[in-house]
Amino acid sequence: MTVASVNSECYAFQAFKVTSPILVVGDVFMTNINYPFLAGTYSSQMHRVSKLSFPLRPALFLLVPMAIALLAACTPENNQSTFGTAGPIAEDQADLFKFIFWIAAIVFILVEGAVIFIAIKFRRRSDSDKLPYQTHGNTRLEITWTVIPIFILAIIAVPTLTQIWEQQNLVPQDQGQVLNIEAIGHQWWFEFRYPDHEVVTSNELHIPVNRPVAFKLDSQDVIHSFWVPKIAGKVDMVPLNDNYMWMIGDEVGTYYGQCAEFCGIAHAHMRFRVIVDTEEDFQAWVAGMHTAPNAPVAGSPEASGKNLFAANCSSCHTNDSTSPGSYAREISSQQARWNGWISDIENSGIVSAPNLTNFGQHSTIGAGLKDLNKETLEQWITDPSSIKIGTRMQKHAAVYDTSDGAVKLSPTEVSDIATFLLSLKPGSAPAGSVVEASGDVDGAEVFATNCASCHSTGDNTVVGPGLAGIGDRAGTLVDGLSADEYIEQSIREPGAFIVDGFPAVMPGWSHLGDDSIDALVTYLKTLK
Amino acid sequence: MTTKSLTFPQAFPRPKSSSGIWSWLGTVDHKRIGTMYGIVSFIWFIVGGIEAMLMRLQLSSAENDLIGPEAYNQLFTMHGTTMVFLVIMPLSAAFFNWLIPLQIGARDVAFPRLNALSFWIFLFGGLIINASWITGNAPNGGWFGYAPNSGATFNPGMGMTYWVVGLNVLGVASIAAGLNFIVTILNMRAPGMSMFKVPIFTWMTLITSVLIVLAMPILAVAGIMLMTDRVYGTHFFNSLGGGDPVMWQHIFWLFGHPEVYILILPAMGIVSEVLPTFARKPLFGYPFVVFAGAAIAFMGWFVWSHHMFTVGLGPAANTAFSISTMLIAVPTGVKIFNWLGTLWGGNIRLNTPMLFSISFIAMFTIGGLSGVIHASPPTDAQQQDTYFVVAHFHYVLVGGALLGIFSGIYFWWPKFTGYFLNEKLGIANWALMLIGFNLQFAPMHWLGMDGMPRRIYTYAENMGWESSNLASTIGGFILALGILVFIINVFYSKMNKVIAGNDPWDGRTLEWATSSPPPVHDFDEIPQVQYRDDFWFKKYPETISEYYHDEHDLVPKGALLDDETEEASPVVSGGAEGHGDDHGHSAIHLPDMSYYPFILSFGVAIIGAGFLTNTYVIGAGVPFLLWGLFGWSMEPVNDPE
Repeated sequence: MTVASVNSECYAFQAFKVTSPILVVGDVFMTNINYPFLAGTYSSQMHRVSKLSFPLRPALFLLVPMAIALLAACTPENNQSTFGTAGPIAEDQADLFKFIFWIAAIVFILVEGAVIFIAIKFRRRSDSDKLPYQTHGNTRLEITWTVIPIFILAIIAVPTLTQIWEQQNLVPQDQGQVLNIEAIGHQWWFEFRYPDHEVVTSNELHIPVNRPVAFKLDSQDVIHSFWVPKIAGKVDMVPLNDNYMWMIGDEVGTYYGQCAEFCGIAHAHMRFRVIVDTEEDFQAWVAGMHTAPNAPVAGSPEASGKNLFAANCSSCHTNDSTSPGSYAREISSQQARWNGWISDIENSGIVSAPNLTNFGQHSTIGAGLKDLNKETLEQWITDPSSIKIGTRMQKHAAVYDTSDGAVKLSPTEVSDIATFLLSLKPGSAPAGSVVEASGDVDGAEVFATNCASCHSTGDNTVVGPGLAGIGDRAGTLVDGLSADEYIEQSIREPGAFIVDGFPAVMPGWSHLGDDSIDALVTYLKTLK
Repeated sequence: MTTKSLTFPQAFPRPKSSSGIWSWLGTVDHKRIGTMYGIVSFIWFIVGGIEAMLMRLQLSSAENDLIGPEAYNQLFTMHGTTMVFLVIMPLSAAFFNWLIPLQIGARDVAFPRLNALSFWIFLFGGLIINASWITGNAPNGGWFGYAPNSGATFNPGMGMTYWVVGLNVLGVASIAAGLNFIVTILNMRAPGMSMFKVPIFTWMTLITSVLIVLAMPILAVAGIMLMTDRVYGTHFFNSLGGGDPVMWQHIFWLFGHPEVYILILPAMGIVSEVLPTFARKPLFGYPFVVFAGAAIAFMGWFVWSHHMFTVGLGPAANTAFSISTMLIAVPTGVKIFNWLGTLWGGNIRLNTPMLFSISFIAMFTIGGLSGVIHASPPTDAQQQDTYFVVAHFHYVLVGGALLGIFSGIYFWWPKFTGYFLNEKLGIANWALMLIGFNLQFAPMHWLGMDGMPRRIYTYAENMGWESSNLASTIGGFILALGILVFIINVFYSKMNKVIAGNDPWDGRTLEWATSSPPPVHDFDEIPQVQYRDDFWFKKYPETISEYYHDEHDLVPKGALLDDETEEASPVVSGGAEGHGDDHGHSAIHLPDMSYYPFILSFGVAIIGAGFLTNTYVIGAGVPFLLWGLFGWSMEPVNDPE
């Protein structure tokens, strides 16, 4: 086979032979190369080496515009771009990245330039079979290129170490009042607790602008990672190993966050939002979280939804953490729900679940998955898996059929629940006014608010045992304890006596206060 | 010598045939074992590649529902596990097997039957892990198996049990092979071949083998702990029982980071052979390259926590591991500069192996530089667990290890088979791989900086990630097309043989001194070695003074003078089991074939399967294990004539 014939059959890629300056690079490889030391059979094959141009031409033709397009695709406006910073930590991290990047870019250009230059300059020319000088190396040169990188790395190390100790050490105390937040990862949503303000919320984190926020990060199940790319790099949420981080949001707005550590089937759907508020908006939001919604008008869809929610959803979802004491109660309930699930992963009737207080104020649903509106909310209630595969609600909540996951509610009922949830916004009552009046407590109401999601007043089991006839049984269960004492202790310290066949998941309820507990005991004894 | 009274009763006659399936089951020939390693790991390479392509299809557009999250999690777990343990490591092992005895002028490895055992256990380990696809329980906890997500509570299926049992079985194969090559290289070099005359690929094999022997037991320990957590309910890593999930990460990465060098050092060795051959110059600064390899392997033990910068180890730990990680860039840089020094002033022939090797330098440099970027914990806080990291390690492991391995395949194929791989198809293979690879992985840098986490099976439309993901998917398929061209090339070249001869590339090391393919005994006469690149300098004696004129410190003075002074000592395969010239019929003495490695590994496989099914099956494997062990230990190297 001659060179010419190989040329003439220069493959389908001939179409790409477009005159362009970038293709000149390809041409330098076209030099005919011979291998005289090889016998005849092989030499014809060797000529084909010269056809290096055939893949290079289309390659460069495709790659250069592609690279430009990709560079353009890297925009700070993107929701999770680490370049579109809105806080000093992310900004420092981006600056450090750029600093190292440009040093790397110089090394990159030098090395890649050298590779291409050497490959071209020293490539074999026509028939030259000259043996190069068989040098063994050059010790001085080699020591030089060992030492120079050490200096370059030292230059990189200085800002690196400075930033490590700035970012991973203590929260700065001189940049405004520190806000403490406990962020807890759950499969597959985020819980946010504000111990300073006794507020619990989920998946949408509100922080005030220009104030340091100190996070305690924890996980209830597997390892997650807490990451708001525009405000700060990630820190993992490790079960049993609290981590700490801090951040400052210096621009009002809504930012995207996402779990960054693989955490199971719905890892891709474990997202959240961070809402950086002005100080006034933040305080208003905190006040709102302590303000109960207006009571629904009797007969309205909201009223129907409220009852349906209480009957079907409230054993896992709290929706009324506005009153004093509700913060501690929610924390113990969340722990109880977790204990319930972990003690019977297959059949538990309860699971850890987001707190839905003032849910109507949220903008997303399903841990930042979809915009919140009536349509998406109804879809979520009807078939959560259609939005987020792996959601535990559909498997564990009694309101879903165990065999096919279908919701046991009519479309109207679903609509009513959605309407009710969307109506959950701070009501007109001023913050802090919803306090139980002492001395005049209705035990039935205390039961409905606090106990009914797990206990029925009949014989049937919900999560805990049915309580019909508890007044008659209670006095006989433990020697030396009257019915009143037994019931009261069961409320205050449920772990003291566990009814056979039930998991030890009920939290203590001492925080209800003596009056409420007395009223509750009196009420319970009336159940027949 | 072993006496006949000690022989174990044999169920089968000892294999003798040199052809047919039984000859492969009983072989102890390092070349045949190398071929089997190559073929089997290439099949796994195709499997792992299909897994990758399915993931790329799923990610090609936002909110895609081609593959659900469970299947996606299985795919990325198995892709990583397959490519690390069933492809790159055993493909390297294929080269070790084929080349080490040839490069050091030996007739086989030190322990030929152990070598066969390594292969068979590797085969069964791979089958165990992949059997999970058939039973519908593929592992889904990631190749890194982070606890507690890999524990029984959160991962109740059998998948991660398959994974951990399979890895433990594979570990046995790796450790045995590592020991075998350490002993082979230290003990079986041809007369005159001092350690500083050893070919650079052999050096890298030695260093890799030391790493394997030290690192794989750590994985074995971690694996056994995780397995007992899963199967017997212990609480090593189970946080619910008070175990520490971060401890898993420490143990795993204490293995995992040296593992990275186990994957890349053999490819560096290959490149260090190809570049001098095609530049027609010796490797620039041989001692520096050797020491750099050893330094990388040593420092590789002190950097594991850079996989854990976001775990919350605190600023002191992150500072220490950041510095150690940056320092490891120094010996890596030395290698790159020395390769460039090798090319400088050469007479460079751009054949396929050379194109792959030069591309290796170019691509590995990119992976190294992105590695320096996230050696800095503050910037790593943004890049950890994003596609930036995916881009980084694929530039190291595909742009590095895989291109290096392909370079080696094209380079040594004539030696393995006697004929060339087709050059035209080879260049198409190279170009498609290089273009596809860059198109697939370069955009991932941008995706990572744009905040796309790893291991997500889908993403929202409003994230701005679609065009880069689509480009990446297209690149993936171009890369796959390149692999297809390689497969075509293998068959095309077999049907249209272009005979290569013994020394087609004007080679430098001993493997080119024997015939192509080599005879079963490798060398008719064991070579006497005087120089580094001995074969080259004996072809071109006029160049000896150019290389050796000022090597006062590094080469013993006698190196130039010791020809004829060293007695040709008989070099025999079969390790310490005896010298070969007892029988009188031939001075060339090779160990006889043996079924016992296969039987022993079969027992190991059944025991492994027992952990996956029930305890009685473990019992069923024990007789095979004992049969293999006793039969082997009682079996003489050679049956009496």
